[in-house]
Amino acid sequence: MSQLWVVGAGKGGIGKTFVSSSLGITLSKLNFKVLIVDFDMSGANLHTTFGLKLSDKNLRMFFDDGRPMEELIQATEIPKVSYLQGFWDSWAPSDVSIEDTQKIVAACRKLNYDYVLFDLGAGPLLSYLELFTQADEKILISDSEPTSVEKTYRFLESFICYKLRESSTTESYQKLQATLRAYRSSDHKGYFSFRSYLKESVGFSFDYFEQLNQRPVRLLVNSCRCRQDQDLGHSIKSVCHKYYDLRLDYVGAIDFDNAVWQSVKSREPMLIEKPFTPLAGQFLSVCKQLTNTNSTANLYRAAV
Amino acid sequence: MENLKYNYYDILEVSHHCPQHEVTGAYERAKATYSGENPAIYTIFTEEEARELLKLVEEAYLVLGNKTLRSLYDEKLSQAGIKLGDLSYESLKLQSQITLPEKPKPSTKIEYRLDEKFEDDIKNQDDWNGDFIKKVREYKKIPLERMSEITKISAYYINAIEKNDGGSLPAPVFVRGYVGQVAKVLGLDEKKVCDSYMKGFKATLGK
Repeated sequence: MSQLWVVGAGKGGIGKTFVSSSLGITLSKLNFKVLIVDFDMSGANLHTTFGLKLSDKNLRMFFDDGRPMEELIQATEIPKVSYLQGFWDSWAPSDVSIEDTQKIVAACRKLNYDYVLFDLGAGPLLSYLELFTQADEKILISDSEPTSVEKTYRFLESFICYKLRESSTTESYQKLQATLRAYRSSDHKGYFSFRSYLKESVGFSFDYFEQLNQRPVRLLVNSCRCRQDQDLGHSIKSVCHKYYDLRLDYVGAIDFDNAVWQSVKSREPMLIEKPFTPLAGQFLSVCKQLTNTNSTANLYRAAV
Repeated sequence: MENLKYNYYDILEVSHHCPQHEVTGAYERAKATYSGENPAIYTIFTEEEARELLKLVEEAYLVLGNKTLRSLYDEKLSQAGIKLGDLSYESLKLQSQITLPEKPKPSTKIEYRLDEKFEDDIKNQDDWNGDFIKKVREYKKIPLERMSEITKISAYYINAIEKNDGGSLPAPVFVRGYVGQVAKVLGLDEKKVCDSYMKGFKATLGK
């Protein structure tokens, strides 16, 4: 049975596709069999980072024609890395229903891969949020600009609310939204803590928050240009803790590197074209943390 | 203030058993987060709220960053029925002063038996050389090591002074200082002893 990792972000253009392809390649270097699924509703482009041509095999066939997933998976030039192409022939507005998302999750879990990585598009679409709740590892990308930090919080809020909606009565959910709005518009002073709010109010199932503490959302800060950018992850973590009472796990910072845009232009994965950049080490440490192959690091993390 | 329901460890986001250097690291991080224009607080905390948080962070570090106050705080936290509001920095500081009275310093005085004849000898002594200083020291029951401890002069130099060993001693200006210190500890007239000793000392150096 394969593990599901989902890479999402609140804002577009901050390197979701780059991160998910790099994580996939790094996992393959750690000797895992990896499938990367392009789940960007706004148009597939994972194939471009791998330097592959568009093929007519894509996700739409899985959803519309009911083709089995195994037939749609394509190999890449990198050993142990396969990919599933996303939508590109959608001349209609595309969104995948929650049922369809659950269908693809179930199908992916049955596949004979160690890890299945989902590369999402930007923003909190319903299908993305559903994938996020189903995933074994939820990886959230931000970069150091205020715009993307802001959207990261919005993504987290919609993720939590999405999850709460399932397990609450309509009435209590509406009440929660009203309270959130009041806090946003500064009618209320102080901080909104989801945890204490949920404890005090009726009509919510509280278990999911505990689960989120067990398997927290992993935060990754991309394109760091200085020390302050690297520390931003800690700051976001602290703010989430203080404001929402939500535990985030900051897995690491990825440096800014000109090699990234250069390799996109030459249409070859950056970790293959330039394998000796510091970024390779940063991705390796993230993967090791998340796959638990490095027991010392885990001990250290447990102690901290 | 409602925030006092959090304890200082929660504020700095460290575990109760973390080593001291992690407290400092967490404090620096928190300070960077809630002061200035950190993008991480953007749209979540207003400027005013951030300032309030920063105040809390500073207060938490005043307590946890200080080993004495931290251990006192830990002790109080484990007691049942204590309100966090009672554990502010100010009250802890007061309590730490109560529980830790200043220790009396170990006295430098050493008991010796008064010998009136020898006391008279000391009074009438005009020629202060090393031998006599040693005699006085032994009479007052101060071992060489103790003398070195009190005066912070190496035992090697004190020994050389007592043996009138000019070759082992530094320049006269230092020796004068040393002799003065020793005389002071022995309760002698510093100026008289120094003048007399230095006369003999310079004579041995041939100056």
